[in-house]
Amino acid sequence: MTVRFQIMRDPRFHLLHQVTQRFSDGPESEEYRLARAGFVLEDTLRKKSEVYPGMLLAAHPEPDMGNLYCPVRGVVSEINERYIVIAAKPPQMDDPVMPTVDLSALEGQELLNGLKNMGVDTRFLSQNKELLIVNALNPEPGITWAEPMLATHVRNLRSGLALLQRICRAKRVVIALPEGMNVAYEGMEVVHIVPEYPNSLDPLVVRAVTKKENPPDVGIVGIHTLWGLGRVVVTGMPLTETVVTLGSRNHTGNYLIKNGTRVCDLIAHANIRANKGDTVVVGGPLRGQSISLLARGLDRNTTGLFIVEADTIPPLDGDVQCCNCGACSLVCPARLSPEMLSRYAEFARYDKCVKEHIDACMECGLCGYVCLARRPVLQYIRLAKHKLALDKRAIR
Amino acid sequence: MQHTLLAVSAPPFWHCGRTIWKSNMTFLLALLPAVVMAGINWGIPALRVMALSVSTAVAAEALGTRLTGRPLRVDNFDAALIGLLFSFMLPSAAPWWLVMFGSAICILIGKIAFGGLGASPLCPPVVGWAALFISWPLLMDPNTAELSTSFIDPLVRLKYFGMTAVQDMNWTDLLLGRQIGGLGASQTAALLMGGLFLCARGVIRWEIPCNFLIGVAATAAAFHLARPELYASPLFHLLTGTTLFGAFFLATCMSCSPNREIPMILYGLAGGVLVVLIRNLGMYADGVPFAILLINLLMPQLEMIRPKPFGGR
Repeated sequence: MTVRFQIMRDPRFHLLHQVTQRFSDGPESEEYRLARAGFVLEDTLRKKSEVYPGMLLAAHPEPDMGNLYCPVRGVVSEINERYIVIAAKPPQMDDPVMPTVDLSALEGQELLNGLKNMGVDTRFLSQNKELLIVNALNPEPGITWAEPMLATHVRNLRSGLALLQRICRAKRVVIALPEGMNVAYEGMEVVHIVPEYPNSLDPLVVRAVTKKENPPDVGIVGIHTLWGLGRVVVTGMPLTETVVTLGSRNHTGNYLIKNGTRVCDLIAHANIRANKGDTVVVGGPLRGQSISLLARGLDRNTTGLFIVEADTIPPLDGDVQCCNCGACSLVCPARLSPEMLSRYAEFARYDKCVKEHIDACMECGLCGYVCLARRPVLQYIRLAKHKLALDKRAIR
Repeated sequence: MQHTLLAVSAPPFWHCGRTIWKSNMTFLLALLPAVVMAGINWGIPALRVMALSVSTAVAAEALGTRLTGRPLRVDNFDAALIGLLFSFMLPSAAPWWLVMFGSAICILIGKIAFGGLGASPLCPPVVGWAALFISWPLLMDPNTAELSTSFIDPLVRLKYFGMTAVQDMNWTDLLLGRQIGGLGASQTAALLMGGLFLCARGVIRWEIPCNFLIGVAATAAAFHLARPELYASPLFHLLTGTTLFGAFFLATCMSCSPNREIPMILYGLAGGVLVVLIRNLGMYADGVPFAILLINLLMPQLEMIRPKPFGGR
């Protein structure tokens, strides 16, 4: 589909930023907050327990979701219904050192278990596919870590890819690079993608590589995930770090932060202020989630943190009705009619959403981006998807 | 800093910046040259009709939202825009009660009765125009309403006096709006400017007006080539009556025009063809408003032409 530039002429949608600066280190803060939702706490973990880097704090009951590990040396200062709060303290000479784990001998299910015990989610990793595509584009506008990661974290990415190959067993591996970026990954097939959002979305990258829509037996992995896998192999320690892009109107930078780093610590570290009325977004600016508290901890799946200053975009205006301008159906990369989907969701006709092919939606967020009436279109679609998933589970 | 009060909202958190307010303001800006030209050609009476129509429309919107218990949103200028578009199709000599009645019908029946902004199945200004045209044809026909002018009505001439009467049309007069017609709808050059501006700004999609005009020109050319002594040339049809106004400002009405490429093209073409068919074979001198009502009705069917979803069979 050709992008209609009379609707989208936003230079921010260009995904190649020529950023070469290495990742900055995140803040060494006094307090870390690890979200505990979904995890089962270790029996021995109490308030005032001493914790060490790489120590198991909580296990995930699902076999394909990674466990929760401690990122720093410290003391548990509080355990509430949402967080395990750790007060950091300087390392001592007699601290126990966690043993490093070697994953190279493991295969199949053992390898997946091994990764779970390294704090890696394996649910979304492609298993047993013909073709494996590495999506090396910045996933969303505003996020800039892809280029420096490709240029400077080669060892990490290569180890991650080697590990993933053992899980995926693909006959062919293709790396999808943004057009205009020159990195040589020897021995790898390269496909260049026009670096304009929404081309970086996984289904569209798959289509650009295979020329087919949703072909079977094709796995795709983003380099953020690959980086995490590689980190585990290279360090031999559980994954307790993540790479995030921090962006505001006047600042953008990439940081290597420890899991559980509080939002307020990170933005203070970068000398940014969040003022009253600003919106703080975890994830990308088009698909992320806005948070209410700056003391919130960032988890291992965080890819970005954005401060959207008040008055930079027209405010959402309550439950305003659709004006039928049709901009959303013209930009939709899945060729859906978001105006109808959002209306059906608004009036709880989720059955109609299924008829309108809601499952083809890639949640790119462009519908809300172009909406004249400022309807929360993506939110309506996500609501409908959520309700449909609940229905499905109830039937089962 | 931990306790800063943040605004929580729904994704996406970036926006293209276009809003209903901005789009309507751009529309009004695009109509400004035609308003000025109407003032020059028809004088104070034209300004009177436009002002009365706009204010009645805003008042009717306020009344209508009160009656239906919906939030009052006249500040997005949609009612004002409908009022102005409606007044463009009236003769400048229209009596005050006709203007007010028509303008109120545009808003109350054309817009509010169907659920407000974005819900109207028919272009609201044309709804008001059609109601009045059927009820008071003599008052609504510019040719019979405008008695104190030296301009001529080219479409009426063509209809009742044949091709010989419009053989020596002065094209400059037509472009500058020195012809009898709706007070704003006949300001051809000004409307063309405004319409192109809207297309360039992306407020309306060029496919609809472009194909509308292609439809008019192609059908008129077919008639003209077949019987040049009976039927006027394509250029004549493009520059007279409500053609340009209809193509750029009425057919592109957000809620009653299709959104996707192929439906937009068919919609525009159908409108253009209908205009010339009504003019050449029908009983009305200017077929544009009726053509637009008809293609509005065609819109739901055209919208069924749509691509398969991503990965769909």
